[in-house]
Amino acid sequence: MPNICLYFQVHQPYRLVEYSFFQIGNNHFYENAILNKLVLDKVSNNCYEKANELIGKLIEKYPHKFKVTYSISGTALVQFENHRPDIIDSFQKLNKTGNVEFLAETFYHSLAFNYNKEEFEFQVQKHSKAIEKFFKQKPTVFRNTELIYNNDLAIEIEKLGFRGIITEGLPHILKRKNQYQLFLPKDTKKIKAILRDHNLSDDIAYRFSDKNWKQYPLTPKKFLQSMSKIKDNAETINIFIDYETFGEHHDEESGILKFFEKLITEICENELYSFKTPSELIQNIETNQILDCPEYISWADTEKDLSAWIGNSMQYEALAKIYSFKDKVWAIDDEEMLETWRKLQTSDHFYYMSTKQSTDGEVHNYFSPFNSPYDAYIYYMNILSDFELTLKKIIKSKK
Amino acid sequence: MQNKPKVLMLGWEFPPLINGGLGVATSGLSKELSKLVDLSLILPKSDINYVLKNVETIGLNNFDIENFKLRSSDHDYTFLSNIDFVQANLLPYQEKEIDLFQKKYAATDQFSLKDKLRADIDVFNTNDLYDGAIGERVYNFAKLASLIALQKDFDIIHAHDWMTFVAAMEIKAQSGKKLVLHIHSLEIDRNGPDSKGWIYQLEKSAMDYADAIIPVSHYTGEMIRNFYSIPASKIYPVHNGIDQVQSFRSDSSLPEKIVLFLGRITGQKGPEYFFETASKVLEFIPNVRFVMAGSGNMLKGLIEMGAFKHLGNKIHFTGFLTQEKVRHLYSIADVYVMPSVSEPFGLSALEAAQFGVPVVISKQSGVAEVMPSTLKADYWDVEKMASNIISILKYKGLRDQLVKDAYHDLSKISWTKSAADVYNIYTHNLLATN
Repeated sequence: MPNICLYFQVHQPYRLVEYSFFQIGNNHFYENAILNKLVLDKVSNNCYEKANELIGKLIEKYPHKFKVTYSISGTALVQFENHRPDIIDSFQKLNKTGNVEFLAETFYHSLAFNYNKEEFEFQVQKHSKAIEKFFKQKPTVFRNTELIYNNDLAIEIEKLGFRGIITEGLPHILKRKNQYQLFLPKDTKKIKAILRDHNLSDDIAYRFSDKNWKQYPLTPKKFLQSMSKIKDNAETINIFIDYETFGEHHDEESGILKFFEKLITEICENELYSFKTPSELIQNIETNQILDCPEYISWADTEKDLSAWIGNSMQYEALAKIYSFKDKVWAIDDEEMLETWRKLQTSDHFYYMSTKQSTDGEVHNYFSPFNSPYDAYIYYMNILSDFELTLKKIIKSKK
Repeated sequence: MQNKPKVLMLGWEFPPLINGGLGVATSGLSKELSKLVDLSLILPKSDINYVLKNVETIGLNNFDIENFKLRSSDHDYTFLSNIDFVQANLLPYQEKEIDLFQKKYAATDQFSLKDKLRADIDVFNTNDLYDGAIGERVYNFAKLASLIALQKDFDIIHAHDWMTFVAAMEIKAQSGKKLVLHIHSLEIDRNGPDSKGWIYQLEKSAMDYADAIIPVSHYTGEMIRNFYSIPASKIYPVHNGIDQVQSFRSDSSLPEKIVLFLGRITGQKGPEYFFETASKVLEFIPNVRFVMAGSGNMLKGLIEMGAFKHLGNKIHFTGFLTQEKVRHLYSIADVYVMPSVSEPFGLSALEAAQFGVPVVISKQSGVAEVMPSTLKADYWDVEKMASNIISILKYKGLRDQLVKDAYHDLSKISWTKSAADVYNIYTHNLLATN
């Protein structure tokens, strides 16, 4: 009897203003507060509200069967707390059913693991504390920003006390291994890895409203057929998608919520399947498959590597610059400066600077608040120039 | 191919006589198009040292009129004589006041071509096709080109810009063949959206009469819809191509970074915005020099303004330059700026990119459609324009990325592709049997 593991990613960055060169030294406010609130409201109304309501309804109907898992970034949590506390309430309400698990991630949805281990550790712990504060759960399974992963990350995550880690199931990493089983990351002892089924996940997340797709329109029946084609020795089918899929990336008129409700109902009515959260999978399923992934992978773009954020010379330069401040910002121990610096680490800022073309480029543009990747870079670098000036002033005043 | 379409093309500028993008585009397109169609090209002036293979090139300066049998039509150009001629600088390419038709033909005249058969071909023996006698040249071109056309067999008339449009209409009227207008520049680009003088009238009449209009960008296609009330169903934008060049970089021998403007120093090209942008940049980073290459009616005023603002040693004016000198400038420039108020295409932005120069352009430019790897600002947004220039000078990551991405954009642009697009319009939209 295969298990089904559903995990939804909830994230909102702090988008930045169009910060011109001439503001450097004069304006220390970097965030586009109006836009951020606008987007938060829009996505809350289109997605979070309705999707949470639906999940609540399904849990109520199948309290012994239906389970879901969320990973909510720290930047999203704080924005909810400030502008849409009702969304926090509705997540807390879901949490009270006992059928919901929350994952750990970096508080700032950052690339800190790739640039600074100390900072990475801080952000992971800060996020776990926030989850404990809001949901009285201590996360035991970790997912890195955009499922970025390699062997070293698994080793680090085990050291931090986690028991599981989530990443993308990619053929060139899996080789012939069974992605529907769990994995033991190379050179770790206790931690287990859970791999995303990108075919099934992307059927819902990306292709659902694609009228040129041969499966269009996707129905619960077609989806169950695809699931049933998975070979016999499947322990778990892992469907990991952005929560914004429901009502935002695919609007309500697309029928995505109705599709999902019907799909879950049919699975719950089916004796063949049961739902499990990542921590339950790790507790209940043994494995001896080794996951060896020396190079970085992720769930983003066609390449499924780091190139969505660390792919061109603008991205390299911007990332090198923001992390070059680490020692100084840590040393001055100024809460406001630390927070500003950390929010500037959110991966979205670098994602907007991508100059990829074709379909991936379109996805990058869809998310970007700016007219071009060059603008995204210019505003970001101007902000870093102002940040650097401010930092120097503070250091000087403390001497 | 069984039947190659026969195309009669009417051009104006042509190498080696080049003022702007028109001559380059006519030549680039003809060269590739001649591989797909039978092409005859009538020009006011041709040079026997510059003849394209497989293109029958007829220069009116070399034309022997006495050996032609004369016929004419009754097509009426009253619209040209009814308008009030405004005695002012309406023409884009020169500064002297012009007299158009009225000296030779009273404004009340109905001047159809049949009454005026003796053309003075001398007007084409000049190095400036746009100087004082432009009206006469346009008219004489129409007379002679239509005479020649009537003795030829062709399926399509393809005319480049307003100077050839009287001829184009006359030839269509007499032959009944399909007419394609290729728009490289509009009167409202050159003189603003309020320009409703005789050139505008000529453009509008020709567009109404034509079977298809090919603007060099979607941007210009929109202008044609909005300012000339032409239905979108007749407009087929085709982007210009570019010839490959052997590009190079040189040392400038100057310690400062170089920001380059290149084009006619006329209102259309926004030189005064370049000037203001330069002042703004220099306030913040002094180690930059600005070079304005080209000439035009605004040059003198700008030089005086430079002196007034004490920017004389930071802003340089070169006057009109040869291609060799232009290439040298590209090779030493650190930023290329094209702040045009309205730019149908903007070939020079592609040329700068070929030389590895990052490009800053106004949003009112068609070239952005084929080269997205540029920084953009509204032409009047001096602050954003300045910020873009400073960012390129300041951030190496940006500079490198723009240059790299622009090379990629360039790799997808060619005259072969443009010619194929034009060919498709001929065959699918004009010659397809009903």
